[in-house]
Amino acid sequence: MTAVQDRDGIRRIEAEAAPARFARGWHCLGLIRDFADGTPHSIRAFGQKLVVFQGEDGSVNVLDAYCRHMGGDLSQGTVKGNEVACPFHDWRWGGDGRCKQIPYSRRVPLRARTAAWPTLQQDGMLFVWNDPEGNPPPADVTIPRIEGATSDEWTDWRWYYTVVDTNCREVIDNIVDMAHFFYVHGSFPTYFKTIFEGPVATQIQNGVGREDVRPPAKEGQPKLIGNTSVAAYHGPSFMIDDLTYHYDNMDLESVLINCHYPIDANSFVLQYGVIVKRSEHLPGDAAEKLAIGTGDFIRQGFEQDVEIWKNKTRIDNPLLCEEDGPVYQLRRWYEQFYVDVADVTPEMVERFEYEMDTSKPNEAWRREVEANLARRAAAEDTPAAWAAGQSV
Amino acid sequence: MAVRPDNRLLDTPMQEVTCRRCAARVEVRKGSWHQTSVQWNADALTACEERRAATAGPGPNGDFFEACASLRASIAEAATSGLIPVLDDGY
Repeated sequence: MTAVQDRDGIRRIEAEAAPARFARGWHCLGLIRDFADGTPHSIRAFGQKLVVFQGEDGSVNVLDAYCRHMGGDLSQGTVKGNEVACPFHDWRWGGDGRCKQIPYSRRVPLRARTAAWPTLQQDGMLFVWNDPEGNPPPADVTIPRIEGATSDEWTDWRWYYTVVDTNCREVIDNIVDMAHFFYVHGSFPTYFKTIFEGPVATQIQNGVGREDVRPPAKEGQPKLIGNTSVAAYHGPSFMIDDLTYHYDNMDLESVLINCHYPIDANSFVLQYGVIVKRSEHLPGDAAEKLAIGTGDFIRQGFEQDVEIWKNKTRIDNPLLCEEDGPVYQLRRWYEQFYVDVADVTPEMVERFEYEMDTSKPNEAWRREVEANLARRAAAEDTPAAWAAGQSV
Repeated sequence: MAVRPDNRLLDTPMQEVTCRRCAARVEVRKGSWHQTSVQWNADALTACEERRAATAGPGPNGDFFEACASLRASIAEAATSGLIPVLDDGY
């Protein structure tokens, strides 16, 4: 290990290049409904170009995009039956990766096989399995079912995509970063614990509303008391957040997805989605409106993350205070997905718990909220003043 | 890509605590009276009675074990008795 402190006492930021290999695990490519239009879709992922297409039999397939014949781009071709046809010479490729026919030829050559990616269609989402060692997904490496996703008692997915030009470790770091939820997302965490065990990283978070971010409820409107959330990464890229907002007269249940897949070492596609449980307190299309509103609120939060990521530097040796989360231990957990299965060490997967101390942070944040409110009161309670308060 | 050591552990490393109920041995660090880190290993997980009795909760993330109350009590005792240090500044 090199010294991080120069003789002048200045701490140096250290960062190795982002890893050249991509994480082993299930990665969500998006909603099935967005791929189910009978045309091939072009996806840049894991440093390659992929084609996603739904055959007439309804199955959604993922293949390497480049035709093994002369290198044509299958994602620019057409779907014919259960096969994707290359736009260059009409070679037909099945979802299993085999060339099924060449209309102008008597027979298909030997070994006419391309890379087919294992897929999982579940709860409206399409997943692909990435493994640099080329092994199929083990039966016990799964994504948990989300009951609300297939239930009429819940809204449909409200889904968002955005490309972020940085390595995807940045989005992983967030799960342990309690303070950024206050400074970047306008939350007020009052309880925060993270648990790493096996391939799962869980964050338990409770919080209260911030009056300097959201105006207090008007007379007759439900008053937001706080929120409780259990969020977990199941593998390297797919986080489910079971989030309930507590109002004085009701609980509002929602499930958020925060997931990504790498385009290459220095960019990824960030996706997030939300469903909301219908309730007697949400008549008509109020649940849909709430899902849209919640999704837009999350989008604002991610846009703020992206703004930070665009400008920050990669850092392997963050300088942490006692009120920060377990960033190093999280990265140790995350490392299990970047080494061969045989090289996964016990410390990467052994259970680790970290319960945060919120007392000092909460004291500082209460002062800050009060200062924001006082400043706003002094500047009169205008809409412009509210907007100014949100950027704090 | 080796992960670096946590800078906070250089000053105050994790220390062993034994659970008074099942004798599971874990590594513990308290950054304050309210902050606790617990590093388990396979033996400790097998030994933990509360862990063995735990069942999955509701929801897609329900299949996790939040904490062992007996271990928590043992850690609190280790802290108050001075067996493990607590980095305290009065909060």
